[in-house]
Amino acid sequence: MPRLACLYVPLFPLAARLRSEPDLKGDAVAIVEGAVNNGHIVAATRRARVKGVRPGQSLAQARSLVPKLIARTRDRECERTAQEALLEVAETFSPRIEDAGGGIVFFDVSGLERHFPNERELAASAIRTADSMSLPARCGIAGSKLAARVAAELPQSPSVVDPGKEIEFLAPLPIERLSPEVDAATTIARWGLSSIGDFASLPESEVAARLGELGRELHYAARGIDPRPLIPRALPPEFREGMELEWPLVALEAFLFIASSALDRLAKRMEIQGFACRRLELTLLLDPDGFHSRAIELPAPTRDVKTMLTLLRLDLEKTPPGGPVIGFSLVAHPDRPRRAQLSLFGPTAVSPEKLATAIARLMSLLGEDRIGAPQTVDGHLPDRFAITTFSPPPPPNLTPEAKPSRPCAAVRVFRPPIPVEVIMRGDTIAEIRSDSEANGPVQSTSGPWPIEEGWWRPAPNVREYWDVELSTGLVYRMYCDGGWMVEGGYD
Amino acid sequence: MSAPAHRLDVSLPLFGPEKARKGTETAPTPQIVERPRLVPPPPPVLPGERDEVRDLRALLGGKVTNASELIRALETKRRDELLATTLGPFDALLGGGLPRGKVVELTGRRTAGRFSIVMAALAASTSLGEAAALIDLGDHFDPQIGELTGIDLRRMLWIRPHTMKQAVMSVEMIAAAGFQTVILDAGSHPIRGRRVPAAAWVRLARAAEAHGTVMMIATPYPLTGTASEAHVAARRARPKWIGGGKSPRILAGIEVSVTLEKHRHRKPGAHGAILFRTAESCLA
Repeated sequence: MPRLACLYVPLFPLAARLRSEPDLKGDAVAIVEGAVNNGHIVAATRRARVKGVRPGQSLAQARSLVPKLIARTRDRECERTAQEALLEVAETFSPRIEDAGGGIVFFDVSGLERHFPNERELAASAIRTADSMSLPARCGIAGSKLAARVAAELPQSPSVVDPGKEIEFLAPLPIERLSPEVDAATTIARWGLSSIGDFASLPESEVAARLGELGRELHYAARGIDPRPLIPRALPPEFREGMELEWPLVALEAFLFIASSALDRLAKRMEIQGFACRRLELTLLLDPDGFHSRAIELPAPTRDVKTMLTLLRLDLEKTPPGGPVIGFSLVAHPDRPRRAQLSLFGPTAVSPEKLATAIARLMSLLGEDRIGAPQTVDGHLPDRFAITTFSPPPPPNLTPEAKPSRPCAAVRVFRPPIPVEVIMRGDTIAEIRSDSEANGPVQSTSGPWPIEEGWWRPAPNVREYWDVELSTGLVYRMYCDGGWMVEGGYD
Repeated sequence: MSAPAHRLDVSLPLFGPEKARKGTETAPTPQIVERPRLVPPPPPVLPGERDEVRDLRALLGGKVTNASELIRALETKRRDELLATTLGPFDALLGGGLPRGKVVELTGRRTAGRFSIVMAALAASTSLGEAAALIDLGDHFDPQIGELTGIDLRRMLWIRPHTMKQAVMSVEMIAAAGFQTVILDAGSHPIRGRRVPAAAWVRLARAAEAHGTVMMIATPYPLTGTASEAHVAARRARPKWIGGGKSPRILAGIEVSVTLEKHRHRKPGAHGAILFRTAESCLA
């Protein structure tokens, strides 16, 4: 017999909103469905409920009870991301999960008895995990989805229904726990039945004759029979967090403050699944209409919030959106973080995740073209180079013997080259003059060494190279391509 | 009243076979009982065994019981190693090479061979398969020359900061990422950007120590103060020319004099000379 657990978040619209705005947790807050002025209350915090605020009241009625009531409209984006987070909590326990929507998730816990001392501990662990994702959930475990849901809805959480005891568990509970249709509930109340057990003791055919097919299903439910199997969902290809804002934002810092907490939630969700972000997409809803989308490719999968936030900031500074922002959505495309293998005899490899984070932060600090692996470029001119993504090959398994190298004189290249004035004596350079240190009479020279590149082009690169030693002892490499330039100095 | 107990005249070895009682056998044959040890002896050195395996076994001995102890032992072993730049006189000044987990400062004005020593250190590190980073404040590195000096460009990260502050931040970040060799070349005099506070160099020294990084700061004049383990000064020497007359004159190389200015464990004042040959003279 399968064992199913149900994670249930009471007052889900409110819980989803408080997850996005945790500062409101201690206040009297109400979630309003519809327009703020003529909408009705859907859920309210305990502080508001104590003073008489109830679901179904209008906002004006609620404000008459609690003048300082904070009203928030129902945010579908928050609810969707909270539901995703709840699903991910369930995924940490079982791969077989079902999304029932509205803050309810079912998952199969059969076979988990080896990992937990008992089912109560398992349920308590699920509640703790949900709490770490800022979701105040309750958990129930039973043999069917219905019994698990009813158990989860009970105030004393976690509650576990022993195998085969579903009927005994449901019998003393009020009939409202089965969430019957309004008409059926009225009829059953007129019959004088209050508990599920009383209703279950009625003959099934008589109930069906009076209440129809819905009544038959309700009777099945009352007897603990739930024919609906668990329908597992497929893994999502991406992680999404977002929010609709109460007022338009025009300042970058204010937006980044909100985006930071969304990124934090994204990183936590990816961490639970063992993923890291490879590509980050941001969609901004603009006021009065329109949207602005952008995508940020990360150098390597990472979960570092600081890095992602810095990249987001730089991207927004570079291309600001065309109007005030009234909502946003962040989508992280997941990838497995790269792992390095510890070597016994060879040099240790750099951790790919740490490397990616460091490179991303340095890129945001210095600019994309200022960091990478150097690369030579085909051609004869010595000052050419390219920078590519730093992706070192894995280190050797055995540290090779250090080869005795031939000391080679390096040239310190000047970018850009320093223009100089040259005084020739015959065919050789006698003196160079400039504002830099490359200034003074020349002691020894070597050259000219001609280089020609792109002779097929209308303006080929033709240079004559010289090595010169000044009387000060400094040695430079110079070239002449119409004007004289010092390309670098031997150092 | 107590009865006197019989004196035991046999000793029962804990692990060996039971010794026969006296008198039960007429002709006891002496047998050498080899007592087994609780800690097994190390296996004999196998012919053709690699030095690395032998060294590791000698290092670990019989003390390692789990993976974390093994990792710690390997880390300790790695930190004791030096990175030999293969420039004999330079390595000799530092006792065999650049120490891991320490900051070494290299100073020298133009044409003093400072950049050539930096190239040699990068070449030595990357040729061992390690990841190395050059923080090039002056933007002076040329990949073609780097490749000529023996640097494996795939294993080298080239960072070109704009200011000294950015350079120091880059060094710290890269060391924390786990790079085995990090070299900051501050470029030529005057150094770009403002001077950084002395505490920054102390932070770099701590970062190097924490991650076991070979850290070299190459500057035109001393900057690191007491944070560095050693200070080597490169001084300009005479350039060497070959040819002349009717044959073309070629710059053969530059001879550089290096002096140990400061070392925490060695006597300063030692010096040596290195001849860096130009690529053209090598071809000639």
